[in-house]
Amino acid sequence: MTYPQFECLKVERRGPVGWLINNRPDRLNAMSAKMRDEFAFAWTELDRDPEVKVIVHTGEGRAFQTGVDVAEIASDGVGMERYRRSVEAFDLHFTAWHQQVWKPVITAVNGMCAGGGFHWIADADVVIAASDAEFFDPHVSIGQVVSLEAIGLIRKMPVEAVMRMAFVGRHERLSAARAYELGMISQVVDPPGQLRDEAQALAETIARNSPAAMRATKRALWGALEQGLTDACRAGAGELVSMWGHPDQEEGPQAFAEKRPPRWRDLTER
Amino acid sequence: MASYATLQIERRGPVGWLVFDRPDVGNAMDATMFAELEAAWRELDRDPDVRVIVNTGNGPSFQTGLDVAQLSRDKDALREQSHRTRDADLRLTAWHNQVWKPVIAAVNGVCAGGGLHFVADADVVIAASDARFVDPHVSLGQVSAYETIGLVRKSPMEPIMRMALAGVHERLDPHRARQLGILSQVVDPPERLRDEAQQLGEKIGRNSPAAMRVTKQALWGALELGLTDANRAGGRALVSMWGHPDQEEGPRAFAEKRDPVWQPLEPHERTTA
Repeated sequence: MTYPQFECLKVERRGPVGWLINNRPDRLNAMSAKMRDEFAFAWTELDRDPEVKVIVHTGEGRAFQTGVDVAEIASDGVGMERYRRSVEAFDLHFTAWHQQVWKPVITAVNGMCAGGGFHWIADADVVIAASDAEFFDPHVSIGQVVSLEAIGLIRKMPVEAVMRMAFVGRHERLSAARAYELGMISQVVDPPGQLRDEAQALAETIARNSPAAMRATKRALWGALEQGLTDACRAGAGELVSMWGHPDQEEGPQAFAEKRPPRWRDLTER
Repeated sequence: MASYATLQIERRGPVGWLVFDRPDVGNAMDATMFAELEAAWRELDRDPDVRVIVNTGNGPSFQTGLDVAQLSRDKDALREQSHRTRDADLRLTAWHNQVWKPVIAAVNGVCAGGGLHFVADADVVIAASDARFVDPHVSLGQVSAYETIGLVRKSPMEPIMRMALAGVHERLDPHRARQLGILSQVVDPPERLRDEAQQLGEKIGRNSPAAMRVTKQALWGALELGLTDANRAGGRALVSMWGHPDQEEGPRAFAEKRDPVWQPLEPHERTTA
């Protein structure tokens, strides 16, 4: 599959790994209206490419992502009002979770991650970061509310650390090392220059597993954040049973017994 | 205590032990073990001398999930289990069996796949320093659901998601698991695990059985509800102890600088058969 040209993103495939790269480095990868539209399209493109088994999301330059493009907001006369309807309706499309991408998504934080940048931490399955990455949430320091990103984060990690970031605003930064301790991320890459290689390697490792089983697993685990434990287990049973009779379910144990790599079905076939 | 083919069940002081005992096959669960687990949890739960339950395994593994050898040999043997899996009606763990006594999982070695049920559903988890956690499901074309659903409600989600998606290709060590709050104690050298578990069990066994039962119900109940509703239910749980003899005995023993004498637990009703 060849991908269309994007203005604010780079989208490409390396082996089984689809890459989505924020590409407004001179704006610290802040999200303009254009970039926001491109995200929606890029996730969908990577999701429907059968060659892509795992997706890595990172950024060009010294920032990963720094939220909405405040310069654009302040200068174009429309401001945040252009987003009112979609936010009020929670009709957003710029993360993999928003777009219901059920392939595994790894966020590789290459530098500063600020404010709205947390959307892609909260909504990723796996997060790794360069050792010099820093996290902070400046919303309240510029008179804005912290809501969606932090709501996602407090369901996934200790709450106090998220609350502190929300209230300290731009006056303090969380290091990659502390983010690792808290279980916000699972790997700190040092030296930072190794980040993309490590992300590619991790993605290739994950890509060795059954795409269909991973899709059902991902649905079950994100579903666990939606309801009480017992109901989540009931819903998870549905995902689990959905794999019964799938060829991968026979192939996995058989390949293991025969000491060979399994041959999985593509997500598009059955 | 009844005798079991796949488990060792015994009591040491106030501590009931439920030990997986199929060391040659990584303590994997076959049809017999599935049936025995339900019976054993209930026996330990009924025994008034058992205040706390420790769950561990014999041999180099803690627990490695479904016995796939039996599955490939004799699918029929596991049919009941398949139905229970489909219907979300499992009876493997203390939580499944509505055991409201404190349960300590003491992870003695490899804990793989379905073994994670017993980590997710325990109240307290400790591990030997050579324990390892791995979730091979997706590497074998299987879905990881129950065990990891429980874990993502109890610990940071990202590392659980990573374990579920990395499959056999990565393992979580007990030091990292402790850092993440999946467990609270790493025992080194590993041979000390059972002694430490017994000690911890005896420590917990000194507290009011009735108060611990209600506490456990309130905290697991909190995973079922939103925050405000969980507090409402928790308030009712709290008040349910008012007037219980232990509620008087605790402060009195403290004032008199003596050990409290707690009431034995009244049996409780289960909502499952």
